[in-house]
This record gives sequence, C-alpha cells and structure tokens, in this order.
Amino acid sequence: MKKKVAVAAEATAAYIPVDTDFKWKENAGDISIDENFVAQNFWHDVFVRFFRKTSAVIGLLLIILITVFAIIGPGMNDFGYSDQYLSQKNFAPRVKALEKFGIFDGTETMKTTTGKTQVNYYQEKDMNDLYYWFGSDNFGRDIWTRTWSGARVSLIIAVAAALIDMIIGMSYGLISGYFGGKTDMLMQRFLEVANGIPRLVIVTLLLLVLKPGMLTIIFALMLTEWVGMSRIARAEMLKLKEQEFVLASRTLGANSFFIIFKEVLPNIIGPIITQVMFSIPTAIFTEAFLSFVGLGIPVPQCSLGSLISDGFNSFTTHSYQIIPPIIVMALLMLSFNLVADGLREALDPKLKEM
Amino acid sequence: MKKYTLKRIGTSLFTLLAILLVLFILMHLMPGSPFNDEKLNDDQRTVLYEKYGLDQPVPVQFVKYVGNMLRGDMGVSYNISKNTPILQLIESRLPISIRIGGCAVLIGAVAGLLLGLLAALKHDTIWDSLATVISVIGVSVPSYVFALALSYYFGFKLRWFPMLFSADTLFKSSVLPSVSLSMFTMASIARFTRSEMLEVLGSDYMLLAESKGVSGPALIFRHALRNALIPIITVLAPLIVDLMTGSLVVEKIFSIPGVGSLLVNAIQSNDYNVVIALSFIYSAMYIGIMLVVDILYGIIDPRIRLAKKGD
Amino acid sequence: MKRKKMTLAILLACSMMAGLVGCGGSDTAEAPADASGTEEASAEGAEGVSGEDLKVMIETPVESIDPQIGQDGTSFEVIADFTDGLMQMDADGQAVPAIAESYEVSDDGLTYTFHLREDAKWSNGTQVTAADFVFGWQRAVDPNNASEYSYMLSDIGQVKNAAEIIAGEKDKSELGVTAVDDTTLQVELNVPVSYFLSLMYFPTYYPVNEEFYNSCGDTFATSPETTLANGAFVLDSYEPAATSIHLSKNPDYYDADKVQLAGLSYQVIQDSQQALMSYQAGDLDTTLINGEQVDQVKDDPEFLSIGAGYMWYLSPNVRDVPELANLNIRKAMTMAIDREAITNDVLKDGSTPTYTAVPPQFAAGPDGSDFSEDQTKFSDVCTYDTAKAVEYWEKGLEELGVSEITLDMVLDADDAPQKVAQVLKEQWETTLPGLTLNLVVEPKKQRLQDMQEGNFQIGLTRWGPDYADPMTYLGMWVTDNSNNYGFWSNADYDAIIAECTTGDLCTDPEGRWAKLYEAEQIVMDEAVIFPLYTQCNAEMLSSKVTGVEYHPVALNRVYKNAVKAE
Repeated sequence: MKKKVAVAAEATAAYIPVDTDFKWKENAGDISIDENFVAQNFWHDVFVRFFRKTSAVIGLLLIILITVFAIIGPGMNDFGYSDQYLSQKNFAPRVKALEKFGIFDGTETMKTTTGKTQVNYYQEKDMNDLYYWFGSDNFGRDIWTRTWSGARVSLIIAVAAALIDMIIGMSYGLISGYFGGKTDMLMQRFLEVANGIPRLVIVTLLLLVLKPGMLTIIFALMLTEWVGMSRIARAEMLKLKEQEFVLASRTLGANSFFIIFKEVLPNIIGPIITQVMFSIPTAIFTEAFLSFVGLGIPVPQCSLGSLISDGFNSFTTHSYQIIPPIIVMALLMLSFNLVADGLREALDPKLKEM
Repeated sequence: MKKYTLKRIGTSLFTLLAILLVLFILMHLMPGSPFNDEKLNDDQRTVLYEKYGLDQPVPVQFVKYVGNMLRGDMGVSYNISKNTPILQLIESRLPISIRIGGCAVLIGAVAGLLLGLLAALKHDTIWDSLATVISVIGVSVPSYVFALALSYYFGFKLRWFPMLFSADTLFKSSVLPSVSLSMFTMASIARFTRSEMLEVLGSDYMLLAESKGVSGPALIFRHALRNALIPIITVLAPLIVDLMTGSLVVEKIFSIPGVGSLLVNAIQSNDYNVVIALSFIYSAMYIGIMLVVDILYGIIDPRIRLAKKGD
Repeated sequence: MKRKKMTLAILLACSMMAGLVGCGGSDTAEAPADASGTEEASAEGAEGVSGEDLKVMIETPVESIDPQIGQDGTSFEVIADFTDGLMQMDADGQAVPAIAESYEVSDDGLTYTFHLREDAKWSNGTQVTAADFVFGWQRAVDPNNASEYSYMLSDIGQVKNAAEIIAGEKDKSELGVTAVDDTTLQVELNVPVSYFLSLMYFPTYYPVNEEFYNSCGDTFATSPETTLANGAFVLDSYEPAATSIHLSKNPDYYDADKVQLAGLSYQVIQDSQQALMSYQAGDLDTTLINGEQVDQVKDDPEFLSIGAGYMWYLSPNVRDVPELANLNIRKAMTMAIDREAITNDVLKDGSTPTYTAVPPQFAAGPDGSDFSEDQTKFSDVCTYDTAKAVEYWEKGLEELGVSEITLDMVLDADDAPQKVAQVLKEQWETTLPGLTLNLVVEPKKQRLQDMQEGNFQIGLTRWGPDYADPMTYLGMWVTDNSNNYGFWSNADYDAIIAECTTGDLCTDPEGRWAKLYEAEQIVMDEAVIFPLYTQCNAEMLSSKVTGVEYHPVALNRVYKNAVKAE
C-alpha cells in the first residue's frame, strides 16, 4: 500500500499542469461553493445537537461564568493580587450577607496537636469592617482576588497554548499526511524522537533556559502538546486525501497549499476543535504540575496551579486557603471536558442515530 | 509481515539513537553545572570536570557514552548519590515504580472500563452523566491534593493503610499511591471505552448479532466490548509507560523510592548521567511498547495490517 | 479472523494476570528478603540494650556515605552516626576526645600529636589505626577524588602540603600527616590554627581503612557491605539515594555502654504534611515541619525550634550594577528591610533576624563569649528604620541622577526563599519610592552559577558555617573569593583577613578576635551584604526522647547520647 501511495503521488505529480496550460478563474470562491453549503448545514446540525445535550450546555455556562469572574473578579474589591498585609494573614473567609447565619463569619476551627481551638482574627485584632470573602493567605493577601487573577492567568496560558499547538500540530500533521512518502517518513521519525523524550525533561529545560514567565510557560506547554494534535490531523488527512473532491480540486489546478488548508482543513475542523477542548484542561493541569515542581508562574504572580501548591502547605492548618482555587480548577476541568465530549458527539455523524 | 516487523524494529533502534543524541545536546544546553555548590571553588570545579570527562567536546563525550553504554556502563551519578553507578540506582528503583505503576494501570483500566461501559449502555441518561462526572473528577483535582487527601483520610484518620511506602508492608503501602496514580488512566479509559462502545453498538454487525437472538451480557461482552478493546489498548499503551516510569508527585508524597522523583531531582541538580539514563529508559520503554502494540495489531487484525501499510 | 481476536483476548487476559501477580503475588516473595536486614538488625540490637529504634525524618536523601565525598548536612549526620573521628562534639559543640584518647600540641602550634585509643575497632574487627587516618586524609586531598571539602584540609585546616597536593603539584604521600605507630598520629600545619581540634569531628577528617577500601573496589560506601563502622551505630540497611536507612547499635563500639538506642531508622519524607501526620501517628519520633504548620503545634511542648546555622543574606552585585555600586542606595535598601516581619510573620519557624555579617551562636571567642551576641552593634548601618532608609535613598538617587530604579533579584525555587523574596519586594517597593523589584526564580544550581559569574543584580543566598570560627563567614568577602558574589574588593579588608588566617595574629587569639570585629565593621559599613536572618528549623521531638544533641555547625544532630523511653 505504501508503495502504491507513493506511486499515486508521483503519478499525480506528473499531471500537475504548468501555469500556461490553464487560466485561473477570476472567482476562486466558486470552487468551494458546494462545500460552503454543506458546511453551513453541517454546523447548524452540530449546533442543534450540542445544545440538546444538557451536560455540554452546563459545561459551557460554567466556562462562561468562570471566564467572566476571571475578568471582573479581581476588581470586585479593593485588594490587589500582590498587596500584602502581614498583620492580616490567615484570616478565615467572611462575607457580609452570610455572617449572620453563622457561616463565613471569619471564624475558623484550628486542629492543633494540643486540641481544637476556635479563633476569629477579625474580632481578635479588632478589624470588624474587614471582609475577606475567601479569606486571606499567609502573607495577608486576599484569596478572592488571587483566585480570580489566578484563574485569569491559567485560562490565558491554557487557551493560548492550546491554540498555538493546534496551529502547529495541525499544520504538521496535514503536511505530513498530504505529501506522504519520504516527507511523511522523515516527519514521523522526528515526531517519534520528540515524543520519545520525557515531557518533563523538555519542559523544565525550556523553563530553565528562557526567562521564567507566562510566555515561557505557554511556549513550553505548546511544545509538548502538539504531537497529539498532529496525529489526529494526519490521520484525517490520510482518510480524506484520496477522496474525489481533493482530486477534483487538484485537477482544477489548485496547489498543495490550497488543497491542504482550503479543501481538507474545513472538513477536519470538527475533530480538531474537540482535541483543542481536551488539550485546554491538560494544559491547565500541566501548568499546575509545573507550579508544584517550582517552575510555574514566578511569584508574586499566581495561577490556579501555584495557588493550589501554595495552599497545599496549609492544607491541614488553614484548609480554606486551598479550597477556592481547587474548586475553580476542578470546575474548569470538568466543564471543558463536558463541552469537549458534547462537541465530539455533536460533530460525529456516526453517533447521530444513537 | 516479517519484513515490516524487521523494518519497524530497525527504525525504532535508529529513533532511540537519535533520542539519545538529542538528550545529550539538551543536557549541555542546560544552564548551571552539576558542580555548582557554594562550597566549591573554580579549581575544584575544573578538577571535577576533568575527572568526569565533562571538559571534552560534546561529540567526543557522546561517542564515549554510547560506547560505554553498549558495554553496560551508564556512568555514575554526580550529585544525587555521588559516584554511584547509574545502573545500581536504577536497579533498586525501577522495579518499585513498575510495581506501583502496574497496579495503577490495572486499577485504572478495570475501573475505567466499567465506568465507560456503564456510560455507553445507559447513554444519555443520568448514569451517563454520572459516569462522566466521576471519571472527570479524578483528573480535575491535582494528583498531589488527591494523594494527600487519600493519605489523610485512609492513612491518618482511619488507619486502613500506611501513609508512607515501606518495603516491609509492600502490598498495603502500595494501595494509596496506586489508587492516586490510577485516576488519570481511569478517566481516559472510561472516556474512550464510552465512545468506542457507542460506535460499536451502533454498527451493523451488532444489529445482526441482536437479530440472531444474542442478547444480554453475551452480546455486550463477546461482541461489543471485544471490538471496542483495540482502540482502547492504543490509548492504554503510552499511559502504561507514563505510569511505570514513575510519578514525581505521588512518589514525593508517599516517600516512594521510585524513578520519577529521581528524574526531577536529577534535572534540578544537573545530574546529567541520571537524566540521560532515565530519559533513555523512558524512551526505550515507550518506543518498545509502541512497537509491540503495532506488531501485535499486524498479527491479530488483517484490516489493521493493511491500514498500517497504508499509513 | 475470529480465532485471531481470541488470541488478542487471551494475550490481554494474560497481561492483566501478569499485572495482578505483579501486584499481589511477588509481594510476599520479596518482602521477607527486604525485611530480613532490619529483623537481623533488631535482633542484634536486642543483645546489647533493651531500647527502641529512634525514628528520624530527613528531608532529602543522603547523597553519599563516603566521608570524603559526602558534602551535605544529611549525609554528614548519617556518616557521623557510624563513624568517629579523632574528636567528637559534645552537647555544647566543643571538641572532646573520641578515637584520639589524648593529644599534644607543640609550643609553636604547628604540630599536633594524637594518641589513639587501642580499643577502637572497625566493625570487621580490625583496630582503628593511625594509618587509617592518614589514608582517609590523603583521599580527601587526592585530586583524583575531587573531594568537594578538600579545602577543609588546605585553606581551613592548613595541613602541610594539602594545598599543593590538591593543585597537583605534590604527591598525596607528602601530606603533613604521619602515622608514627599504630596509635600515634602526627599532624603538621603551615600556620597555627586556633580551631584545629574542632575540625577533627568534621567527616572529611574521618578515617578510612585502606585494606577494606581496596577490597571494595569502586563500590566503597554504596551499601552496608561496603561500609565499615567504628562509631556508635552500624549501618545495616542502605541503598544509594534510599528513602529509608537503618542503623543499629554497634556492640563493639568502645563507648558502647553509653549508647542507649537500639538503633536509628531514617525515613526520607519530602512532604511536610505527611511528615507531621506520620509523627502524630507515632511513626516518627522527630520530624521537621514547615512554617505554616507551626500554627498547629506552637503550644505543643514537643515543638522545638532548632538553630540550623545558615545565615540568609542578600548579596548586591556592586561591580556590575551602577545603582548598587552606590553606597547610599545599598544602605537605604538594607535599612528598609523589616527583618522581624520576615521571621515572625512569614517564616514562623523560629528563625531570628540578623543584623551582623557573622550570625550569632556558633563562634565563641577566647573569653567564651559569642562573636555576634550583640545584634545592635551595627545599628547605625543595619537596622529597620524607614525614615533613614528614605533619606539615604533620596541621597543615592540624587547622586545617580535618576528617579526610578528597577532591579532583578535571583532566588532559589524553594519554599522559604520565595516567601522571603515576596515580602522583600513588597517592603522595598512600599518604602523606597521609585524602586521596582523583579523576582527571578531559578533552581539552586543555576542561581549559583548566575551569581558566581556575576550574571545577576541582587541575589538571595545563604551560608552555613563549616567550623566554629567567624572566619567561615568573613573569609568569603576577600577579593576574588568565589563566594564573594558581589565582587566587592577592599584592600584593608583583605589585609586583615590575611593577617588573621596565615599572619602573625594566628598565635594571638585575643588580638585576632579584635581584628575580626574590625573586618566585620568594614563589611557592614560598606553594606557589602544585607544580612537577613539566621535560619532555625521547626521540629517536633517526641517527649519520650531525650539527649539528642543539636549543633549549627558540621554535624546538625548527634544521637550517641539519645535515650528513648519505653
């Protein structure tokens, strides 16, 4: 089979007409008229199928909600994400409306080795006008502000990394699959080498060589995630490239670039988007892991991952410090997964009748 | 077929050599040196560089390293455990990682399969959503938090299992780490099982089987699940390598003398030989398993053999 | 095709079974093999005393149990458990005779003669002889071994010919140490070294039996079989970079009567939550905890804060950064630091604010007083005074002709440095108008390289004393010392240090002491470093355990006299 493909490729290569053989049609859009029509219809179907699935809709709503809070949350009170008030450290959560009910009133029960004690630093230090909605951390920084700015950082990192690796991985896979033969062989060997080296080695190395910061983390995440994307793109390309519409396009004189990105790409955008949705939570998670190893976003900036690994040390003492970032992170992961699942089902016509 | 297998093995070996070279170059791009310590002065550093042959050009070092490796000598550790042969280090640690990883794969695969089956058979019901949520929750909380929580409740509060790994109570003390490690596998397997099962259940031959009067567990297990398993193995294979080569987080929390934490420590202390050896073992296992999976497919399913050749 | 699918199913089933067996079955087969070591050990220990094992948590694995190769505190602690040097530390950190029964010092202070005890035995039954020390010391300076602490013999110990041997100019047999007979060891020094006896408990100076060493080949000190003990305990379970280590009482130890513990069992636990939980569950007798956990245990009588010796300080790069070359800027910065807030509010482990270039509580002078007991002696140049800081700052800005300064600070990716750096950033930026501080977090190896190469602006670093003399700190800031990160250079200072190390003052302890104060004064006046705090470790020690000796220098914990009640 491999040989045959190669032969076919050579054969078609021989058929590629020179410029003088044909005249380009003025309206290049005409070529893809059919496809546009199909696509519209297809996307409409996808839309309907997606919104019929409750879990996917819940996931989407949650993502929107968290994104909105990530944007406006840090500005909702007067604290900045790095403002330290060392005299106000480790204050338990306190919310104005809820404190009457005996919850979120700034009281915390500490389990010490010598017994349980109940403390309320707001009263103890006579700061009754102070409200830390999610409490304050061991530097006296507002956890509410930090959680949402952390969510903002995590989302930016994850979405950026996913989008960039989509572009790289997709192009790589499409090109490798389209040209086949020697090109494919070389590109796949390279991919095997890149994939065979433990991620951790590559990522830590990058973070050591480049200046630590958000861009470096995005770059490091991108480098490790593109392989999966390229596999999918290549497999889809192999499926599609033998089909008639590609042949037709080629006969009409389209060059490889046009065929890859204008003809084939729109047809595989479904699986690609699904993969992007899956790679966002992976990116958030990898970032959290990097924070745990001490290579995450540099202090005093924070991400959900760094907040969790900071709060981790207070896990058994002031557990309220780790709970908000964990809940936000878990919800993000869950909702991205739900949306991805929903999308995949909506995009996969094979499952339509189920 | 034979030719294909041989060719696959050949390219794999070549890939491994390439990986080794890349690792070598990466190591030398790494900032810092293994002998950066407050207490060392420049002269001592020069002596140490000479002693370990690090003063030679990288290509020379590479050739020497490959030569030594073929003789079964992977060098000594510079920092982590000074002057200890790498093989000795790995010999004592890799089996532990493989054991814990193996258990994790097993737990994850079984639980994942069950969850995935449940979700597929009760598609679009509350069970489906529940299974999805359960499988996702496992991966939604960072594993270190999960591991600590497990250790706190089952180790500290309930005293069911020891909190720390120990060679004396090997089985009991492997439980908590294996469970915390298995979460990711479980979620991935559950998700893939679900979608593969949905696909299989919707296929024509299931309809045929059903119309022939096959029903109940026989239908699901003999006809559906077996067909869904192949793609699942594809997903499982790299996960197995990931798990068996150790996890920093779980090893750190449960004090497991495995290879995951060794790798991270080695990277951070520029212990070149340890990083290279461990990464190489990881790569070899990864490529080896991929090779086996590929060849197995070829033997087992002629359709895949054809498709493979087409790739 | 169907058959082939069956094959796959069977293969799968087999692999799963294999996995199962791997999980459960071999467990029973392997466990006894692993456990046998410890069982034997406890049986052996039971002969001598009826005590129990002391279960100790350590944070990092042991790097090496080879006395001349090991270089970190944890390794030293374990090596010292099973090896005795000529001297050992008593509870107050003073050198007391160990393998050496007595010693004589020549009048010029250049020759030490140690008389070794005859009942000191290696764990294979051979006697510990003077030749073992000669062999060990020669290993330390042998360039082929590249021992990282070789300077303990050359620069610090001033043993004759040590420096030349390390530099490869002389053969190691020319080292100024000779075995006169089996029990007499003679050491020649270049110059008198007042603290020479206190070096004798440092592991680099420990003996190694040549015959045994040669019989191990390359594997010396990589397993219990390739290790010889002559100390209070015998190593019986150890693997390179192991997470658990076990030692049991050495029945042949010359001082065995005093050793109360049946054994020591070390457990590496990197996560402090797990450590505290294990301690509470009774699986550990002593453990380190982190600052956050102190809230949980501060009222507990078992909570201790133990001096770790390390002084943390900031090193401004005065050579390459014009802003930091300005003395007023440096003074402003050191005065704008609220060290109390750092230790009390952030670290919480008992660390103490430090305002001197030599930290307190490790170096006692000729009159027995602590070199840095008075922390206020430099209060005109190093204290927390925001008003004065701003004054200096504005003067400095004027001299530089700028209104804003942006500085980068390098620090380790560990917990404590990151905490401290965040507070420093906040304190400086609020107190000193126009200052922006960027934190550059790096792994330690890289941070050190950047600092040694001058590729930094301000560095947060630490230094632990190697021997009980202020020189272990003051020696760092002489011109061209590799730990003089700021590249500061002062001829007067260099002269004082030279005079105190190899010059006339070596034989005049009082005069030397006074000169060292002068040197410290120069460092502080010039704000060469900004001292921050002296590190303490927050630890838990079970109330059943008494007699563990803690030291900030060389051997952090000594268990020889520890007792664990039933």
